[in-house]
Amino acid sequence: MLWYKSWLETRSRFLIGLAVMMLTAAGAVLVYPRVMKLLPLANTVDTSGELGRQIREGAELMRSYRGYVWGQWIRQSLTQMGTLFAVLLGSGALLSSASGSSALFMLSMPASRNRVLGIRVATGLWELLVLALIPALLIPVLSPGVGERYPVIDAVLHGLCFFVAAAVFFSLAQLLSTVFNDLWRPLLIACGVAVALALIEQAARGQWTYGIFRLMSGEDYFRTGHVPWLGLLGSAAASAVMLYGATRAIARQDF
Amino acid sequence: MLFRPNPASGVPIYLQLMEQVKHGIETGALRPGEQLPGIRPLAEELVINPNTVAKAYRELEHEGVIELRQGAGAFVSGNARAKELTDKVRAGQTIVTTAIERLRARGVTDEEIRRLFEAHLAGLSKTGDRRG
Amino acid sequence: MADPLAIETTELRKSYDGAEALRGLSLQVPAGSICGFLGRNGAGKTTTIKILLGMAHPTSGQARVFGLPADAPESSVEIRRRTGFVSEDKDLFDAMTVGEIVRFTAAFYPRWRPNLEQRYLRQFDLPRGRKIKALSRGMRTKLALLLAFSRGAELLVLDEPTSGLDPVVTEEVLQAIVSHVGSEAMTVFFSSHQIAEVDQIADRVAIVDGGCVVVEGALEDLRERYCRVQLVFESDAPEPALRAPGVVRMRRAGRVLSVLCSAGAERILDETRVLNPVSAEVVPVTLKEIFLETVRAGD
Repeated sequence: MLWYKSWLETRSRFLIGLAVMMLTAAGAVLVYPRVMKLLPLANTVDTSGELGRQIREGAELMRSYRGYVWGQWIRQSLTQMGTLFAVLLGSGALLSSASGSSALFMLSMPASRNRVLGIRVATGLWELLVLALIPALLIPVLSPGVGERYPVIDAVLHGLCFFVAAAVFFSLAQLLSTVFNDLWRPLLIACGVAVALALIEQAARGQWTYGIFRLMSGEDYFRTGHVPWLGLLGSAAASAVMLYGATRAIARQDF
Repeated sequence: MLFRPNPASGVPIYLQLMEQVKHGIETGALRPGEQLPGIRPLAEELVINPNTVAKAYRELEHEGVIELRQGAGAFVSGNARAKELTDKVRAGQTIVTTAIERLRARGVTDEEIRRLFEAHLAGLSKTGDRRG
Repeated sequence: MADPLAIETTELRKSYDGAEALRGLSLQVPAGSICGFLGRNGAGKTTTIKILLGMAHPTSGQARVFGLPADAPESSVEIRRRTGFVSEDKDLFDAMTVGEIVRFTAAFYPRWRPNLEQRYLRQFDLPRGRKIKALSRGMRTKLALLLAFSRGAELLVLDEPTSGLDPVVTEEVLQAIVSHVGSEAMTVFFSSHQIAEVDQIADRVAIVDGGCVVVEGALEDLRERYCRVQLVFESDAPEPALRAPGVVRMRRAGRVLSVLCSAGAERILDETRVLNPVSAEVVPVTLKEIFLETVRAGD
């Protein structure tokens, strides 16, 4: 019943997120022919300055279909919207009053706090995984429709990279939910952290080859074909630490 | 039993219940040999603790007004006994009425009278009335 | 062999941000009793209950339910498996319907009793399809009781079960409690500040004040032991320093000295005889008086 309750809590967010991601994925594929027609225009644009550099880079990427998908969907929609939904799924715990239910009633059930938290986390992570893989798999499925082919293995790997990296923000939101009792503060703080990290990563673009969003978009895999194992492990470890922190926080709390 | 105990009256509930049973015997609502409600069902009906009912029944048995038969329940004492006891109670009532009237005649208030009786019954009264 | 004490706490202390809610609260509730936990608002009733059910952690001291430590996570789960709880605010899942929360709760209790569920749904007139947030306070209380009764629990912990209820529903709730307890072997521990209802259905009472238990015992026993010694003097009553134990409170009003005793009225009478009262009498006291005097003893 705890699974069912967790599902009830997160169901709307999950379904909306899934719908949005699937729409953006399908949209990206179906818009491809139109975009290709506009590509030659890129050469006529003034390519000096930051904006010009970006346009040039975008045009470079679009030389291949794979590059187009990565540049337009994975690096943009999946990463940005996906992070937002990861945070949304992670906000609000079964044992906080944010879930609109009563913590005291749940606490009076013969289930340990760890179990309640664990099931809520597991539900959220499953949902995040589906949110990552299904839209990604939509791309190889729909691509023949526009006359292109996209490797399934790429879809799976990008989906997984997104999942592992986004899980960090999910875990952060969960941890914050055990500390704050409402729905909004964990959400806003986690989003704030995400935005801050994104800006830092953007600014340090030249110097660093690390970055959570770089990992999330699977840039290394895209460019070199090497799966970024270290980054994935590090992210998984960070998630585990934060989730452990959540269990400690919830264990000590007085209700 | 059609009464509701009054927990706020100052009279212990078990006494109220005992009084009700005796009154029932007197008025004929409870006949000699008739079975009384079981302890648990009565407690449920009156919304009181079963121990309170048990105590009332024990005291009534002690006074001989009812009999508790193992496994069978509580029964109003057979013919002569119960009637005899209610007669005893009636006689007692006459004595009490007389005593109270006499105390009132001496200017003792009802509150004081009640307290005198209760204190004496509690067995600890050591009234030393210097002005007597 | 089941533990003879359903609930036992020893010197329980709890502080919230420097404010002490419990100051060494020691309590014993024998199995099978209906124990009323009486106290003013803020005396520590809800805090004690939360600690017993593992919802809050004591700062120090011990709490045991069924002999199991209440503060250890695994035994706390076991305690909750055998306990039914109704919180002060009748906390439930507002977004669910009656039927949904029944199914949710039943899933946690392998010893759930469907026959009791049916009976109470009918008796309390609770429609399965109704959303919980649409229920009146009385119906929420009854639903919470249904959930507590139907799980086959050995202990019922109720935090102010009749608060906010009108007299009719109050009587229904009390009757449901007495009735259910009568047919099962259970212990009931309920907190209240309604002395009349404790008088009515409890056989034990624990009075809590300022985070400590100040009076505890079987109701019958307390009614026999406690009494008031009332002394009248010719002139203004003195205020003696009485050495006999069992003096709870002394009050003077003009020529009358009133001593509330928890035991040993005889000795107090002996001690006061030397003061030459004009009259001395011993009067029984009600639970209400015991309560009012012992919780104001600190004033």
